[in-house]
Parts: sequence; C-alpha cells; structure tokens
Amino acid sequence: MADIDKNNKNNNIDKNNIDNAIDNNKEEIKIEVKNLNFYYGDYHLLKDINLFFKKNSVCTILGPSGCGKSSFLRTLNRMNDYTEGSKLKGEVLLDGKNIYDKSIDVVELRRNVGMVFQNPNPFPKTVFENVAFGLKIHGIRNKQFIAERVEKCLKYAGLFDEVKDKLHKNAFSLSGGQQQRLCIARAIATNPSVLLMDEPTAYLDPASTATILDLIANFKKFYTIIIVSHNIQQAGRISDYSGFFLNGELIEFSKSGDFFTRPKDKRTENFITNRF
Amino acid sequence: MTEKENNKKTEDLGNYFPINKSYIKRKKIYNRIAYTFAALAFIIGAFPVFHIIYSALIIGYKYLNWNFISTLPSGFPIGAKGGILNAIIGDLYLVVIASCLAVPLGIGSGLYLSLFGKKRTNSIIRLLNELMIGIPSVVWGIMGFYIFSTNAGLGFHFGFSALAAGLTLGFIMTPIVTLLTEQAVNRIPVSYIEGALAMGATKWQATKSVIVKAAMGGIFTAVLLGVLNIIGQTAPLLFTNYYNTGMPTGVTGPGGAVGDLAMLIFIYIHEPSRILHYKAEAASVVLLFFVFALDIGMRLISWVTVKIFEML
Ligand SMILES: Nc1ncnc2c1ncn2[C@@H]1O[C@H](COP(=O)(O)OP(=O)(O)OP(=O)(O)O)[C@@H](O)[C@H]1O
Ligand SMILES: [Mg+2]
Repeated sequence: MADIDKNNKNNNIDKNNIDNAIDNNKEEIKIEVKNLNFYYGDYHLLKDINLFFKKNSVCTILGPSGCGKSSFLRTLNRMNDYTEGSKLKGEVLLDGKNIYDKSIDVVELRRNVGMVFQNPNPFPKTVFENVAFGLKIHGIRNKQFIAERVEKCLKYAGLFDEVKDKLHKNAFSLSGGQQQRLCIARAIATNPSVLLMDEPTAYLDPASTATILDLIANFKKFYTIIIVSHNIQQAGRISDYSGFFLNGELIEFSKSGDFFTRPKDKRTENFITNRF
Repeated sequence: MTEKENNKKTEDLGNYFPINKSYIKRKKIYNRIAYTFAALAFIIGAFPVFHIIYSALIIGYKYLNWNFISTLPSGFPIGAKGGILNAIIGDLYLVVIASCLAVPLGIGSGLYLSLFGKKRTNSIIRLLNELMIGIPSVVWGIMGFYIFSTNAGLGFHFGFSALAAGLTLGFIMTPIVTLLTEQAVNRIPVSYIEGALAMGATKWQATKSVIVKAAMGGIFTAVLLGVLNIIGQTAPLLFTNYYNTGMPTGVTGPGGAVGDLAMLIFIYIHEPSRILHYKAEAASVVLLFFVFALDIGMRLISWVTVKIFEML
C-alpha cells in the first residue's frame, strides 16, 4: 500500500481530519452504548448491550450468523428507524449526546456516521456522481470543490488510479472490489467521524480484501471505525478492540490483544478456537 | 482435507445412485408437451392481433394516405369524403388532459405507497386502487357525466367536452399508473435506498436522485400502459364527450367536444355505408400505428429523461 501512503502525502488529503486527529486525545470515548435493548416486534434481539468505542480506534464485532451484529451496527446510525415494527430502549451517546434524542437531526447524524454495506451497493450513476452524491445532498454546489473532493476521496479509497479514465462511466462497470472501494469513497465524502462497516469484504477475493483491510488500518487516523466481520484472523490483525456477540448478548468486549490471547469467557474461546 | 479423507468421503456417499430410466424418458416427453402447449397458446393468443392488422390493412388500405390523416371528414353521410383529422386532434386533447391528471397523481401515489406510507394504510389504499382498476369503464362514464358534464354534481358544468372526457379518462388511467409505478419502485433493490439514506439523504432526496432514476423505465411503462388503456375507450366518451366531426373551439361547453378514433370507428361501423366501414378499418390501422409509435416514443423519452435526471 505504498501507493496510498504516497497519495496521502502528495495530496495532503483532508486537512481538517488530519488536524482533528492530532488534536484528539486518543483515549477519548467517541460512542458509548448504554443498556441498549432492541426488538423486532416481539422478538427481543439485542439484550442489554453496554460498550464504548474510543476515538480513532478500530473495533471488530464478531459472532455467529444471526446473532444480531448487523442489527447492532444499524442502531448506531439509526438505520433501524425504517424497519417496520422495530423498537429500541437505552441510549447511544455520540460525543456525549444521545442520538435517539428528539433534538437530534438524523440527516446530520448520518453525515457524521458513515456506513459501508455488506454487498457493494453503488447507485446506478456514474463513478463520479456516486461520490458527489453525498456532497450534493448536503447542499454543496461549488463544482470545483466537488470535483476536487471526489478525486481526493477516490484517491483515499485507493481507487483513483484504477478509475481515473472511467469517472463518467456507470459504476456497475467496475469489479466487485472496485465497487466496494467506491462505496467507501462515497462514505467518506461527507467527512464523517465514524465509519460503520458491515462485513465490507464478505464477497471479495483475497486481493481486494487485502486492499480494503490496508485502507482500514490507514483510516484509523481520521475515523472511529466499527467493523462487523466473520473473519477472526482479519479482526485480530486490524482491530484495537473486539466484541463477541452471541444470541443478541454481548459476551465479551476488550482490547484485541486480550480478546484473542486471553478470552475471559469460555464461549468466546470456543468461538475463536473453532474458527482458527 | 487430505487426499485420503477425500476418498473416504466419496466411499461413504457410496456409488449406488438408482437412475429411473423410464422416468427420464417420460420427463423428456413432458418437456415436449409443455413446450408445444406454450407455443400453441402463443399462436392462439397472437393470431387475432395479426388477423386484425391484416384484415384492417386489406380493407382499409386504399384510404391510407396523407389526405386521410390531414383533413376533416366531410360529404354525406359525414365522413364519406375527407379524413380523420378531427379524431386524431381529439385524441391528442384527451390524452394530454387525462395525463395532466393521471401522471402526477398516479406517479405520486405509486411513490407514496412504496416509500412513505405506513403498512396498514397502504394495504387499504392498494385494495381501493385495485378495485378502481376493476370498475367497468361504462361506470366511470356515468360518474364522469354526473360530476363533470352536468351541473348536478360537484358544480363543474363542462358539458359534453374534451375536459369532461379527459378528466374521466384521467380517473381511469390513475389507478393503472399508481399500481405499475409502485411495482416499478418495489423492484429497485432496497440497498439503493439504504445507501442514500445512510449518507444523510432525506427520503425525498433519495427518491428524487436515486429511486426515480432507477425506476424511470418502469414508470414510463406505467404511463404508457395507462395511455394505451384510455386511447381505446369508447364507453366513457359516450357520456362525457360523444363525438365532434369538426375541430373543437374550446375545451368546455358547446364546441368543447372533440373527435376520437375509437368513437369514430364505433360510429362509422354503425352507419349503413360501405365507404364508412372501409374508413373505420383504415382508422383502426392508424390507431394501431399510434399505439406503436407511442411505445417507441415513450422509450425514447424515458431514455432522455434518465439522462436529464443524471444531470440534476
Ligand atoms: N427486519 C427484520 N425483521 C425481523 N427480524 C429480523 C429483521 N432483520 C433481522 N432480523 C432477525 O434478527 C436476527 C439478527 O439479524 P442480523 O442481521 O442482525 O444478524 P447478523 O448477526 O448480522 O447475521 P449475519 O452474520 O448472518 O449477517 C436474525 O435472527 C434475523 O432473523
Ligand atoms: Mg449481518
């Protein structure tokens, strides 16, 4: 990933974010989840979740299929608001403010908390328009700013060199791995401070996966990153914190070092060792 | 897995796999039968279409010339001389008026149903909508007559006119556009909508810039099928417009009535005049041609509109 590092230096990408990163106290808490309970109708899925995410850290959420990882992630940017019959109790504090508070502007919340989905889901628009979309919906009209920002984001997502001749081609003409990186570029275009990633490499080949994992390691400087993953090795490699969900309960949450070498709970240990 | 383990697995599965030879023979026959049946059904279904085109062409061909579509009917009985310009212009009036009502209303409710509404209210609206599609057009005609043509209804007093008929046809068209628009939007992957919302788009922004664009083809098909449905209607016109052999002088009141191809065919066929029968056949060829042209035209417009939305 020397390329990306070079790009970053040459282009001085996103000064604001870099400044933020330096100013930030590394130990500050970005998101705190308090007594979170989540229901699909009568089905009590997430039970009494308590955890926190530190600023500029990477946290991986692990757990077997159907344990509620995606649902949990979607409570952090209120994507569950649109799920018919869903209900939530408890608090999610982002920078100390409850995002479920009536006074919270959901639009601003989602600008600030970006999301990358499990399946690459670019819009049926050109590569350029996909990234520019996030700027336009927030009222940015300055063409030059948009063009520069799109280029920076694509560079930052390690995609620019591959697509610079295809900026005005439909995004569906890209490969799966390129589409996913396009979605990442799209997600960072709105200058978020948190990135939620739901199994961002689930459908990608090893090479594309490696590219994206390197990106994530690089992204830590600017964002608080929360990733859902099925891949334990990956999680161990890139994350500072790890959490293990089972049947909607948070079984264990700790620094990745402890989590993988000295799990406190027997169930965590079983999960980790079965998969290794 | 090592080679050995792999071999063991195949052994466990066993080599015994009972193949039913007579069933394999039979399934090929079933396949052939199903194929023949489908082909037959298609031929039976398509035959009338080709027959209509063929016979209309055979009978009406000598009247199919520029004069026929560019002049008003004249002579005695009226229509024995001249063409069908009144009906072509009249259809234009009716389609435009009906579309002014049905396109915004139908697309709007279709989008609402699939994106904004609550589930329970939706199923009620959807049921009502389907009921409306099932209402016979003659009933719509009577309703249009009371509401728009007479002064007994809601105070509109448009008389037998293009406006009364166009609005009535618009009400026939609306539920069709609604249903098909909703289906078109529902076919869009949820991931597009979620992708837009997750970036902080409002529902309207997501609708405007992602969904409408992705569903544009389907929405145009919805409008097209709506127009095709009303272009052939006669029953509602009997009560709200009837027929005008000349040009309208307005859209309401006396002089507001327009000609119409379907009504022209209906009326000519009932006249005891061989010339008019031939002309009715020629008019139906023109109607078919318009349907065909409309289909192609809509596809073109849809393509252009997508390009325009891309620039917004
Ligand atoms: N919209 C919904 N309505 C009702 N139940 C749902 C809904 N979405 C998810 N569920 C249920 O909630 C549970 C958790 O789903 P979720 O998608 O959060 O699991 P997950 O941990 O992300 O699984 P995977 O690893 O397979 O993606 C599942 O049992 C699922 O059936
Ligand atoms: Mg999931």
